[in-house]
Amino acid sequence: MNIASARQSASGASIRISRLEKRFGAVSAVDGVDIDIAAGEFIALLGPSGSGKTTILMSVAGFEFPTSGTIHVDSEDLTYVPSNRRNLGMVFQNYTLFPHMSILDNVAFPLKMRGLRTAERHARAEAALATVRLAGYGQRRPNELSGGQQQRVALARAIVYQPRVLLMDEPLSALDKNLREDMQLEIKRLHAELGITVIFVTHDQSEALTMADRIAVLRDGKIQQIGPARQLYERPANLFTAGFIGEMNFVDVRIESVGDDVAVALPWGETWRLPAAAAVEPVAAGEAAVLAVRPERLQLGANPGGQVITVTLSDIVYAGAALLLIGRLPDGTEMRARIPGASQLSSLAPGNVASFTIPTEAMLLYRGKRR
Amino acid sequence: MKPPTDRGSLALGAYVYAVLAFIIVPLVIVIPMSFSQNDYLAFPPSGFTLKWYSEYFDSRQWRAATWLSVQVALLTALFASVIGTAATYAMIRGRSRLVTAFQILLIGPIIVPHIALAVGLYLFFQTIGLSGTIPGFVLAHTVLTLPFVVFTMAAALGKVDPNLEAAAMSCGATRFQAFRLITLPLVLPSLASSALFAFIISFDEPVVSFFLSGVRQKTLPRRMFEDIEQNLTPVIPAIATLLIVLSILILLGAHVLRSRSVTR
Repeated sequence: MNIASARQSASGASIRISRLEKRFGAVSAVDGVDIDIAAGEFIALLGPSGSGKTTILMSVAGFEFPTSGTIHVDSEDLTYVPSNRRNLGMVFQNYTLFPHMSILDNVAFPLKMRGLRTAERHARAEAALATVRLAGYGQRRPNELSGGQQQRVALARAIVYQPRVLLMDEPLSALDKNLREDMQLEIKRLHAELGITVIFVTHDQSEALTMADRIAVLRDGKIQQIGPARQLYERPANLFTAGFIGEMNFVDVRIESVGDDVAVALPWGETWRLPAAAAVEPVAAGEAAVLAVRPERLQLGANPGGQVITVTLSDIVYAGAALLLIGRLPDGTEMRARIPGASQLSSLAPGNVASFTIPTEAMLLYRGKRR
Repeated sequence: MKPPTDRGSLALGAYVYAVLAFIIVPLVIVIPMSFSQNDYLAFPPSGFTLKWYSEYFDSRQWRAATWLSVQVALLTALFASVIGTAATYAMIRGRSRLVTAFQILLIGPIIVPHIALAVGLYLFFQTIGLSGTIPGFVLAHTVLTLPFVVFTMAAALGKVDPNLEAAAMSCGATRFQAFRLITLPLVLPSLASSALFAFIISFDEPVVSFFLSGVRQKTLPRRMFEDIEQNLTPVIPAIATLLIVLSILILLGAHVLRSRSVTR
């Protein structure tokens, strides 16, 4: 087998996770999760610690068995199949290379478990090492490699037997920032090259947004939202996702009336009429609601096509490409704005009162209360 | 100007050396005594002879006692290291709530006075016919040496990332293959060193052996006690010297094994 044929691999498998539940005593780590993953898709499970993302991955890997629910890979029920018979590639957070084996033997280990002869094992392991750009490192020991190199070896070991699914449990969190960005691209490249289905667990939202085709946002064992990065960022499905993904300003408001448009009462006495499409969740007159807007959508000055707010500035932070303005609305609610370019802003100083326009289409309305 | 003398640290130094002297002097005295020409134990020794060593090696009784002790110690080392490693593995990786109770049971023999254990085993083994037999000695010594194996292996296994086995299983290894191919090679130096400890502890264990020895089946320590009671010749320091050399060799071996496992 040569390098070319090692790279040309079977395409990925589809995965169907349905009604997945995992309870530890009284605690539900995973609470009725459904995810359909298409063959060859790159999906990220994103959530804070304790959200159940790792438990879902471990159930797919076979290291945890769910309390109820099923996991199918290509219509084969794997729910209770032992991990060593699932034929899924897995990359762990802390590299988990076998310290007493050479790099080549590490990568060849899955092939050894599948009974391949030594010569073929080594040829295929060499090819996998070449795929992760570590050709020629086979004779070294794991402790002679840097963290990034070790994780690439772990990646080679996970793909060497051409699994149709690759599972990754926070694989980059042990690496420093620059290395992490290199590895993100490396993994994206491998995904494109191999056509393998990837489930990637992370608590780093920018990592999820950069890498995944779709992102499942999890909290307390439940899926909050699942969709492509753009959808998650531009129209978060609920308050949790709105606050979890990216930066967001929140203003507590009250719904006055709901009709062709929605009238909301602002805490400082104004009433705004918003298009009905602004309401992400159904709202009813008389209820409390939260108005959300991304800091980069705010425009400096009073412009047509939106609502104007006055903000008393407290901090002005120069952040290279953009300027971050932090201030308070008349009722004391904090408001942040990210304004590109620093041209006309030199006149602003902390303590100044500035006007901003919130474009109508940038406003999102959720049920509930922020504070 | 001289720095002021620190009486406290002087006293501490003197104390430490005194303790070391108390530990080492008996060992040092025993060695010259084993070469003494006197027919009885005496200090200071006079002359130089190797006859006590040849008496030991020529005596059928001494050789039989030594051979019994070697057999018992080898089997004890084998059983204690295998059982102790398996038990420690369960203790470290297990999720059971019984782990604490298990731990106490495993290290219990270190806390229970050996004489209590010996009396209990004596009565029990008498009734079931294990007294004075190799299986009897091995059973008793395995219990005594388990705690040492557990301590050594707990330190070693605690350092092995449990995810290594998970990684091996995701590569297609069975649970047992993952242990045999990954964890076991990583803790093998500690396993060997704990087996050496079990060997030496069993080899010169006096209390339990004293109770369990029969008329014919006597371990080396038991045989030495009898010789002290009846003859008190320098053959005792000769054997003691041999045991000291053996212990030092085993300790060095264990040290080499452990430092190897650290550098890996």
